[in-house]
Amino acid sequence: MEEKTRAVLVIGGGIAGIQAALDLGDMGIKVHLVERKPAIGGRMAQLDKTFPTNDCSICILAPKLADCFRQPNITLHTLSEVKNVTGQMGDFSVKLRKYARFVKENECTNCGECATKCPVKVPDEFDMELRKREAIYPYYLQGVPAVMTIDRENCLYLTRGVCRICEKFCTRKAIDFEQKDTDITLHVGAVIVATGFDPFDPSGIPQYGYKRYRNVIMSLEYERLICASGPTGGHLTRPSDKKPAETIAFIQCVGSRDIKNNRYCSSVCCMHATKEAMLAYEHNPKVKSYIFYIDLRAAGKGFQKYVARGEQEYNISYIRSRAAKITEDQKENPIVWYEEPQSSKTKKMTVDLAVLATSLMPRKDVEELAKVLGVELDEYNFFKTNPLSPLDTTRPGIFVCGCCREPTDIPESVAQASGASGRAAETVMR
Amino acid sequence: MEEEIKTFKDLTREVVERGICGKCGGCVSFCSAGELNALEMGKNEVPRYINEENCLKCGICYLICPQTDTLNVELQEKFGWKPLIGDYQRITSAQTTDKKIREICTDGGVVTSLLLYLLERNLINGAIVSKKIGRFARKAILARTPEELIEAAGSTFSGSLHLEELGGKYTTYTPILSTVKSLEKGYLHDIAVVGTPCQINAIRKMQCLGVIPAHLIKYTIGLFCIENFSFDDVAREMLEKKLDINLEKIVKLNIKDDFIISLTKGVTIHVPLEEVHEVARPACFTCKDFSNEYADISVGGLGSPDGYTTTLIRTKVGTSVYDGALRNGYIQERTFENAEERKIEKTKMLAKIVSFTRRKKMRAEERLSELAGGKDIGGKN
Repeated sequence: MEEKTRAVLVIGGGIAGIQAALDLGDMGIKVHLVERKPAIGGRMAQLDKTFPTNDCSICILAPKLADCFRQPNITLHTLSEVKNVTGQMGDFSVKLRKYARFVKENECTNCGECATKCPVKVPDEFDMELRKREAIYPYYLQGVPAVMTIDRENCLYLTRGVCRICEKFCTRKAIDFEQKDTDITLHVGAVIVATGFDPFDPSGIPQYGYKRYRNVIMSLEYERLICASGPTGGHLTRPSDKKPAETIAFIQCVGSRDIKNNRYCSSVCCMHATKEAMLAYEHNPKVKSYIFYIDLRAAGKGFQKYVARGEQEYNISYIRSRAAKITEDQKENPIVWYEEPQSSKTKKMTVDLAVLATSLMPRKDVEELAKVLGVELDEYNFFKTNPLSPLDTTRPGIFVCGCCREPTDIPESVAQASGASGRAAETVMR
Repeated sequence: MEEEIKTFKDLTREVVERGICGKCGGCVSFCSAGELNALEMGKNEVPRYINEENCLKCGICYLICPQTDTLNVELQEKFGWKPLIGDYQRITSAQTTDKKIREICTDGGVVTSLLLYLLERNLINGAIVSKKIGRFARKAILARTPEELIEAAGSTFSGSLHLEELGGKYTTYTPILSTVKSLEKGYLHDIAVVGTPCQINAIRKMQCLGVIPAHLIKYTIGLFCIENFSFDDVAREMLEKKLDINLEKIVKLNIKDDFIISLTKGVTIHVPLEEVHEVARPACFTCKDFSNEYADISVGGLGSPDGYTTTLIRTKVGTSVYDGALRNGYIQERTFENAEERKIEKTKMLAKIVSFTRRKKMRAEERLSELAGGKDIGGKN
């Protein structure tokens, strides 16, 4: 019995889940790392750089991805979902649904020949739908496990019984349409929840014109645009005419600190806007950025210095004003309307591109997961915790870390993950 | 359980050999866009195998052919098809505001102006239109500038291979390397296509499946179409004799209520459509779509006075394009004395479209039942 439950389930393969899994694995504890997507990496893999060091996000994440894959104590369950959890602290029984990938993981070499032949084109979720991908695809370039996946919603064989072109081109014979979804049962002593966040949909604030104006985009789209492995190869060009964006407005608190949407502060946006403006300047020194903010929250290690550097060295102006609305001119240049703080007068500023710092929200289906886990959520649907046991959920033996707990930056998520893994280890080693 | 996939072999037997291939080029465009290199447009622009061994028997060419039925119900549902002319939001009579376009266009120049609007507003990177390269010959081109667009304005009724062009364009445009495709750089490129009902039908079927190269097509403008003509020298001589004209002298062709031939020196003659049926393409006789039922916007001269285009705005996308072009002064609508007159004219326009549609559908039913009865309609073209 002892042996069986000396394992931990980690739900969510983003940076928090990865860190928790690695820490536990290194302690000699068996870990089942569950990720719904075809590959682990999460939101951090979508970012171009990270603050406050401007490190390449994927470059510091990739070694951790590889470690997860190699660490003998970690079992990766990608394309998997937790369906049921019974039992109690020290002895949970977890039902896991493993969805078919239709590609044999141990045969596929990720050469990508199949994708060059797949005739289907659908919007790519990882690249924020700024590009199209095929129905057989790598979730993202550096994704782990490094294998292709067939998207069952769009594959013409799985939906209509035709095609099978990929199969004909795969020299490894790795395509397997016979694969079935399977349910397995895991026995673990503790659970760590690290399911992360979804960005707020800014079309919920119509005065900013998101989706109505092509040159108004949201932060995660900006991250993909400026990323060298993104849809433009890292060229920061605006969506409408593909011309370089040289004057950029960053609109803060889009959906955050907003009584109509999310009342809480999303905590990372002041810093990521600063970083994003810095990156634009690094790409092109002609860039001038304006950050429209309510309060500048730089309360982290080295953050205030980072903001100061932005102002002094990266041509960033911080404007203390909540943008009222965005309109556009005949050339599709966004016009930001705001109250100038010194004069209290309404002003407008015409820019090439406006970037909305969208609020971080719990995953859309978090309520379902909370039900499965039997834990409570707080008023905003983040996992409920207690100030003096900040990594414990309301159910003993189930811990939480990262953005599903509350909006949290990467260093903090990693710290929490290590904390949660400590709590989980304490439970299963007892 | 596994059903046999219908392939190009079936397409050859069911469509090409029965003489009902519309030569839209859909099958070839798909096959060449994917660099599968099994199909090409052969003699008389009929699709054929380049090399049968290259065929992967994927079955997609069969599904996207306008003459096959598999995807029809799905298309109807997707576009909320209603009898008899399909779904539409509005019908208008409009014309271009550009004098230069008005001089060269077939009807009101609405197509050219809509495309011009899309191009100048960066809503598309190009438009596939057909360009006159001889008196009766047209070639599909990808117009990327307003100049190229205007150069292609005006129509003769000789089918041009839009879709095949798209396949070609697509492959040259996006170099397909053996590296992982997700590395493909660049934003999505959007194009508009102007086409006959069969061409738009093939595009919509491709879009139903989500396959290349139709993923690039954001806007479709459909032409009203009773039939297209295709003639060789023998037929031409016959036609000249019958109509007692010299085809060399034709400056413009149009179909509204009848076949309208404008000759040099401002002479216009009207010929009943029945008179020219013999040079119409056999595939057209099995087609049931007059008003381009699945386009974003359908256009034609029928029902509008000279110098105006009858415009059926069908989809949401179509509405946004039309309204944008109208608001920004690219097109203008025909003015009426009063609301009553407008209503009457609109009803008349619709009645004409419905009547032509009925006629075309009946003709198709007849021809298809003849075909089912084993009668050969002759694959003259």
